Amino acid sequence: MIEIERLTKRYGNSTVVDGVTMRVEEGSIAVVVGTSGAGKSTLLRMINRLIEPTSGRVLIDGQDTMSVPEDELRHRIGYVIQGYGLFPHRTVAENIATVPRLLGWNRKRIADRVEELLDLYQLDPAEFANKYPHELSGGQQQRVGVARALAARPALLLMDEPFGALDPVIRAKAQDDLLAIQRRLGTTIVLVTHDMEEAFHLGDRIAVMDQARLLQYAPPAELLTRPAEAFVERLVGSAERPFRLLSLSTVRDATEPGPASGEPIEASANLREALSRLVWCGRDALPVAGADGAVMGRVSIDGILRFGRPSR
Amino acid sequence: MTRPSSLLRVAALALLAVFVTAPHLFAFAFEPLTENEAPAIYNQGSLLSLTLSHLVTVFGATLASTAVAVLLGVFVTRPSGLEFLPLSRSLVHIGQTFPPIAVLAIAVPLVGFGAKPTLIALFLYGLLPIFENTLTGLTQVSPLTLEAAKGMGMSPRRRLFEVELPLALPVILAGVRLSVVINLGTATIGSTVAAKGLGEVIIAGLQSNNTAFILQGGLVVALLAVLIHDGLMTVERAAARKLGGFAGVS
Repeated sequence: MIEIERLTKRYGNSTVVDGVTMRVEEGSIAVVVGTSGAGKSTLLRMINRLIEPTSGRVLIDGQDTMSVPEDELRHRIGYVIQGYGLFPHRTVAENIATVPRLLGWNRKRIADRVEELLDLYQLDPAEFANKYPHELSGGQQQRVGVARALAARPALLLMDEPFGALDPVIRAKAQDDLLAIQRRLGTTIVLVTHDMEEAFHLGDRIAVMDQARLLQYAPPAELLTRPAEAFVERLVGSAERPFRLLSLSTVRDATEPGPASGEPIEASANLREALSRLVWCGRDALPVAGADGAVMGRVSIDGILRFGRPSR
Repeated sequence: MTRPSSLLRVAALALLAVFVTAPHLFAFAFEPLTENEAPAIYNQGSLLSLTLSHLVTVFGATLASTAVAVLLGVFVTRPSGLEFLPLSRSLVHIGQTFPPIAVLAIAVPLVGFGAKPTLIALFLYGLLPIFENTLTGLTQVSPLTLEAAKGMGMSPRRRLFEVELPLALPVILAGVRLSVVINLGTATIGSTVAAKGLGEVIIAGLQSNNTAFILQGGLVVALLAVLIHDGLMTVERAAARKLGGFAGVS
């Protein structure tokens, strides 16, 4: 768990981060969004002390980060930046081994861990371990960047625009991969982005920042239904609101008893996808299939639309 | 590296080796350049030993330049040394603009005749390319890479030795190569202050108006320069290859 308390950063007369207080629960993803220059990256970089706060403090599992030597603190916190900053003179395996090597793990343990991570990221160790970063595609570099950050099993992962350099198709895949791995490892993640779509897709809670201040820190649905300020409402996009809300619920939530014809839709799909399917194939309802493929009911346009409004 | 060019290299090396060990074999080629039955081949000492002492002088001076220039380059790119950057730049540039022959003139009264004044002149003359390339090499390291290194908890020392210097290496090596090649030629003037080297052959030729001597001295220096340039270039390429391209400055 991370507790950020009245964290402030000033450069001369300008305040870059102004008294931000927020708490990120163990194993959850907090996404920080805002326009450029809002102070998102500075906030993130104060957590691993790449930037020293002017005032306020950060507690990780109750321990003040200022009480730990900075390099030691960073060994325990994974850090992924846009462009990844892979070491161009080191192989994929050596890049991933960076923090374990700093921690003095033995050779065998490092080699095992590197292989495990390459497997986890669907990069065949035989093919990729000895490649250099310039021989990888953008998507592969991104995966190596995240694998490197996770190498020493940090409980906390900081990510600054980690998908910013990827094209939309690979980006969606990379986001899903991150979610899958996060669910599996239970890592706490603080992620900075300016992409609202990404924030709603990944965030358990979303922090909206503007001009150095934290305007609202809430679960995605609350951000849509009860925006704290006009800026938040503008940022989440009034026209997009119903659709974003739909994307936060799954077909399972809207499943009703009754028959329907057509190709079944999976219960784990979100309602936005379901609505899109219904509109496209011109039906009023579709059968819903569970994970085992058995039909468990139906989902209708009326049923879906009720989830696109705040009062239910 | 193509086959014909490596063949050319081997041929040049063979020519050089045979010429310095058995120069009399080439007497026929130099005879037309002599007048009044003067000797066609340098006869006041062994070409081989002169070549070796020439190389020792040049490499000794370059080694010292490299050590000082790289240390200085590293120091002025650290936060604590940043304010010395303009000062050290001017100092190194003075070393380059001051003519080596003038350095000799000043150094001889201080340290006497022989190899010492030559070493001092070459040392000063060789600093600039290595220092400037060290600065270029260190400052061109991607800020993203450094940010990542810092973010993973690498100490400043580790960042320097494990990230910055390896990434700057090809560019630093290019500076060393430049320095060596310049000094191979410049070292010939050391013979005016009695340093052992190939300058002796050239100066003997100038004094006795013997073109054959001048040509022999010049030829050996030129062959050395070409071969060493080539060899260092290969090392640089190897260092740059895995960085994803040839980053050397030629």
